[in-house]
Amino acid sequence: MRIFTTLLFAFLSNLTLVAKTGDVPKAKLVAFQTRVEPVLKRVCFGCHGPEKQKGKLRIDALDPDLLKGKDVSWWLEVFDVISNGEMPPEDSKVQLTDAEKTRIIDWLSGEILFASQVRRSEQGHTSFRRMTRYEYKYALQDLLDLPHDFSRDLPPETVSEDGFKNSSEMLQMTVVQFEQYRELALKALERATVRGDVPQPVYYGISMKAAATRIDAMYAANVEATRKRVKEEGIALEEALEKQGENYSRNHGGAHFKDLITGQGIGTRWSYGGAKYAWTPTSTRPKVPPALPDVVVIPANSKYIVDVGDGLPDVGTMRVRIRAARVTPEGKHPPTLRLFFGNQASNDSRVAVRAGERDITITASPDKPEFYHWDVRLSEIARNAYRHIQKLGQLPNPAEFLYFQNCSSTPVSVQIDYVEITAPVHEQWPPESHTRIFFQSDHQADEKKYAREVLARFMRRAWRRPVTAAEIDQKLVLFAKLRLQCDDFQEAMVEVLATVLSSPKFLYLVQAGGVDDKKESRRISGFELASRLSFFLWSSMPDEQLLNLAAKGKLLDPLVLQAQTRRLLADPKADRFARYFTRQWLGMELLDFLKIDSKVYGRFDPLLMEAMREEPVAFFGEVLKRNRTVMDFLQSDYTMVNDRLARHYGLPEVIGNSLRLVKLKASDRRGGVLTQAGLLAMNSDGKDSHPLKRGIWVLENLLNDPPAPPPPAVPEIDLADPEILKLTLKERMEDHRNDPACISCHSKIDPWGIAFENFDAVGLWRDKIGKDPVDAASVLFNKDELRGMKGLKDYLLANRQDQFARSMVHKMAAYAMGRPLTFGDRSQVDRITADLRKRSDGLADLVFLIVKSDLFQLK
Amino acid sequence: MNINFFSLDRRKFLRGAGVALALPWFESFTGVARAVQRPVKRKRLACFYLPDGVPMPLEKDPAFKDWGWFPHGKDKDFTFTKCMETLKPLRNELTVFSGLSHPAVRRVHGHSNADQFLTGADTGADGDYQNSISLDQVFAAHAGEHTRHASLVMSTDGGTGSPRGAQTMSYNSNGRPIPAEHKPKRIFDRLFVKRNLNAARRLALSKSALDDLMEDARSLKRSLSSRDQETLGEYLQSVRDTEMKIEKAKRWLNIPLPRVGVDHLKLDVTPEDPRNYLQTMYELIYLAFKTDTTRVATYQLGRENGVGISDYLARAVGYKATHNLSHETKKPGGFKNFGIYCRFINEELGRFASRLKATPEPGGEGNMLDNTALLFGSASSAFHLSRNYPLLLVGGRNMGFKHGQYLKYGQGNKKHQSTSGISTDAGWRAEMDYTELPLSNLYLSMLHKLGVETECFGGSIGTLSEV
Repeated sequence: MRIFTTLLFAFLSNLTLVAKTGDVPKAKLVAFQTRVEPVLKRVCFGCHGPEKQKGKLRIDALDPDLLKGKDVSWWLEVFDVISNGEMPPEDSKVQLTDAEKTRIIDWLSGEILFASQVRRSEQGHTSFRRMTRYEYKYALQDLLDLPHDFSRDLPPETVSEDGFKNSSEMLQMTVVQFEQYRELALKALERATVRGDVPQPVYYGISMKAAATRIDAMYAANVEATRKRVKEEGIALEEALEKQGENYSRNHGGAHFKDLITGQGIGTRWSYGGAKYAWTPTSTRPKVPPALPDVVVIPANSKYIVDVGDGLPDVGTMRVRIRAARVTPEGKHPPTLRLFFGNQASNDSRVAVRAGERDITITASPDKPEFYHWDVRLSEIARNAYRHIQKLGQLPNPAEFLYFQNCSSTPVSVQIDYVEITAPVHEQWPPESHTRIFFQSDHQADEKKYAREVLARFMRRAWRRPVTAAEIDQKLVLFAKLRLQCDDFQEAMVEVLATVLSSPKFLYLVQAGGVDDKKESRRISGFELASRLSFFLWSSMPDEQLLNLAAKGKLLDPLVLQAQTRRLLADPKADRFARYFTRQWLGMELLDFLKIDSKVYGRFDPLLMEAMREEPVAFFGEVLKRNRTVMDFLQSDYTMVNDRLARHYGLPEVIGNSLRLVKLKASDRRGGVLTQAGLLAMNSDGKDSHPLKRGIWVLENLLNDPPAPPPPAVPEIDLADPEILKLTLKERMEDHRNDPACISCHSKIDPWGIAFENFDAVGLWRDKIGKDPVDAASVLFNKDELRGMKGLKDYLLANRQDQFARSMVHKMAAYAMGRPLTFGDRSQVDRITADLRKRSDGLADLVFLIVKSDLFQLK
Repeated sequence: MNINFFSLDRRKFLRGAGVALALPWFESFTGVARAVQRPVKRKRLACFYLPDGVPMPLEKDPAFKDWGWFPHGKDKDFTFTKCMETLKPLRNELTVFSGLSHPAVRRVHGHSNADQFLTGADTGADGDYQNSISLDQVFAAHAGEHTRHASLVMSTDGGTGSPRGAQTMSYNSNGRPIPAEHKPKRIFDRLFVKRNLNAARRLALSKSALDDLMEDARSLKRSLSSRDQETLGEYLQSVRDTEMKIEKAKRWLNIPLPRVGVDHLKLDVTPEDPRNYLQTMYELIYLAFKTDTTRVATYQLGRENGVGISDYLARAVGYKATHNLSHETKKPGGFKNFGIYCRFINEELGRFASRLKATPEPGGEGNMLDNTALLFGSASSAFHLSRNYPLLLVGGRNMGFKHGQYLKYGQGNKKHQSTSGISTDAGWRAEMDYTELPLSNLYLSMLHKLGVETECFGGSIGTLSEV
């Protein structure tokens, strides 16, 4: 509906004129009475007037004063249905001429825009809110320079109507949560600060030769003897093997030790009982041997377990290094390893969790193995509670293990010849997290002076603004009080700093000052802008550079702000924006709870689910990074896949576990978010497609046109009725829709969902459901026809670009502001939408437009 | 009882004593002060876990009549087997259940399931692990404010155990295990002897920190618009509530610990002397309840799988180890041996319940058992089958529990009612061609009777009206 955009431009210029005159704003009632009302009367009042009130709407009774009247939301509905061509219905006897349509839209859009501006200062929502759970996690990480996640015990957030977790009206504070914040602050600071000398690490240096010898000394001796014969007797390997006896096969299915010279091998072994396989740590670092021909080979879907006994410390970072190579030098696919950590206390008491966030792709060739490593925080993984209670070898078993799982989705193997474990590792001592708080100072001897210095620096960063002398003094008073009850300076200081972190000045995103009518007094300060920007794009607090620019008053300069926005977007921390916005915008939490029915989809596996969860996020990241058009979300000739997902989609081979861009052909039937497997699966029930869920999702998440909630006492589909059971799903929905109680809502929802029917519950294309061919054709409420997914995409691109652009603006603005948008924001959203359309719909441009808007910069 | 008069009395009393305190504290006060005359309505809950299931011979087995755990008959019309005979004097104070289990783990090996007995969580068989809050802790969050200790968590093996190998029945609101105490001396000291000096210091530190945070909140409030001030109101209220809690905790520090005679207690006893150990653990719960030191207790009699010192319990009746009894049921006399052990367990449970019954409710109405609900059970029936949990509910008449019945739930499970319906160690894997009800339905009914208003718990889909 192009009409909308063109009109928008016209009214925006109008608006500025009105705003400048400074007169008391008035609704254009005369224009309504002379030009609009007669049209409405002729075309609409028949069904929505004194005689009939279809949809409980009486247009003749609506108050045409949008500035002061109470019927704004009804007028918005009128605006939407007329501009989308949904009303009057196609089969109605009375129709609007193009000129009449323009006249209504003309008047309504002007009034809506104007009323929205005027009403902005009366709006009911504010951006003042506490941090979300994930923002709290990142803020502590960034502030303290710690990799830990301290947010895990906090309760999950309630999602707003828009689907956002950072929405001010949902972010409550309870006494339980407050107490958690206090505990977590103390815990985080105790983790960040250290005492005494650098803790002595323990080391494990495990060669696979030793590991193989340990499970079978005969094997090791046999291999040794074979090698010796070849070398000393100068005979061929085959002959030497023959002489030695073929006791050790050269072919193994699962993980196995292998001698690269003789080719002999033996399966790996592990059991939990009796600590038979547990390694003992040393207090000095074992010498790293040169690369050895004795390796463990881990094929895809196999694992190799290293039992570390009960020797690991409770806390600190464990570094796990392996010297590894891919087994086959050629071939496109490098194998990928994932690290797990766990324990088995007794027969049926097992646990293992993924350790280290990233997987490692082994690219080294067999003749040049290389070291790879993971860092694991020992305090954050499932530890064995029997350590130091039970003795090694007793039951329940106090030992722990880690294992390397080859999680490649193609049959490629890894070989490892040496494993080295060090815990805890410290890059420096005291660590950066400590010296950031307790830095070197000439005043360290003078507790009071030093306390002031420490506080001043810490509070400015934590509270993201200059702190007043009074605020520091207040904390110093507390320090003096606590110092008497604490053993030393550091202990007391940590207690005081914990109050800085459980203070509302840390936990809440603050825009200070009251609101009055003058626009300039509603502008947020440079520091507030710095926070708003960093919480928008980094889900965390501003860094030093942003704070310094704010301090110098430079951040309010549009050019500086634009450059900073660019910098934030280029930073790896902007991945959080792609992740959290995408997940919330598309409602992806549903996917986390989805259980795929393994009886129906036997070949579904966790690697596929992982890729399905990542695709929408990576796709958004790609559109953002290249400033591609937001219309790519509706349809694109590329998507982001890894090897597993490419296989699922039937795309040409892709290499490795990380997602990358691949070009799509029309025959691939993919592109945009509508056909992404994760989103299709999420809106299924794990067994079959669910057209209703899919339809509602299109309306709510993509078009921002949520259907009305179902009325109370909706008649259920009677599945006991044999006649109903005979119907296909689509027929069943149509049957349900024909029920007068259901028709008004379902005729708006169902057609959208039916267009998806060629995609099953895991997002695979199908031509048949059971024996019947798929029927994915449907007719929209306004009689537009959708012919399956292609028809749906074509329709959206041809008719709903404005609506979708506006929806994107709305969703992203709500996320950026951390509050639901109201009618008062509508003029701003329209303005940003118009600008976005002018700039070819670039996603990065949308971020810039939001950041520079009054919406973002005013309270 | 006239509530208004009651609180007026207390207010007067407090004024007389020269303290002005906010209302929530009153509740805690009634728990310890003898000055309050009116009958108090206490509600208590104790939960017990028996590992490794119970004997369930098939109907055709000669041991069926005497040594199956479940009674014969149903509803009001049932007879105990020799296994439960020891509970006969309490017949009208108890209900036996069958056909209840937690749906999420019905096909997980019984050894892994003690963890979820009180939670109903999907704790799985391996890999990642997540539990949820346990029944007792939901009630403790509600009743704990009245007493010095919100709850008492005990087990024979102590600590938390491991995922799918729990040594505690209790899990906090994040689903993390609460370590169980297993040494009678330590439990006694915690309840009746020790003053926690570190706690006093922490409280003092907290008090100063809270004052400071209140100041932060106030100064922030001054800079906010009136609308935002309302939002911040939640924070201010949270600080005030925490201050109140600390006030309350500090009061407890100054209120003398209840005096309890120790002469009859064997505080150094260990599970190597199982009968005395069990009796001592029960006695500690009894004393904690009687002195109103807590109103919530859990006691896990043993860890699953026979691993740990709790495996000694069967020594009380002359067997070497406990867990093996459950495996050797098919040997001659096997069911009887296992049954004799269960008979002993029931005897001790009965002794504890009878002691509560024989003690008038301190300052209240009826006897202590009338105001205490005892839940006893296991997360597997026989042969590690994680269905048809053997369950007993004893006491709690004043809360409205109906007793003297054997309630059977589920459909198509006739064969799986008083027996497990299987006779092999591999049977636990079998598909379910019958239905049972979620055990959490019973838990939800219990919570309601205990006075906790909640709509669901641990996957419940309703309540059990017969209870």
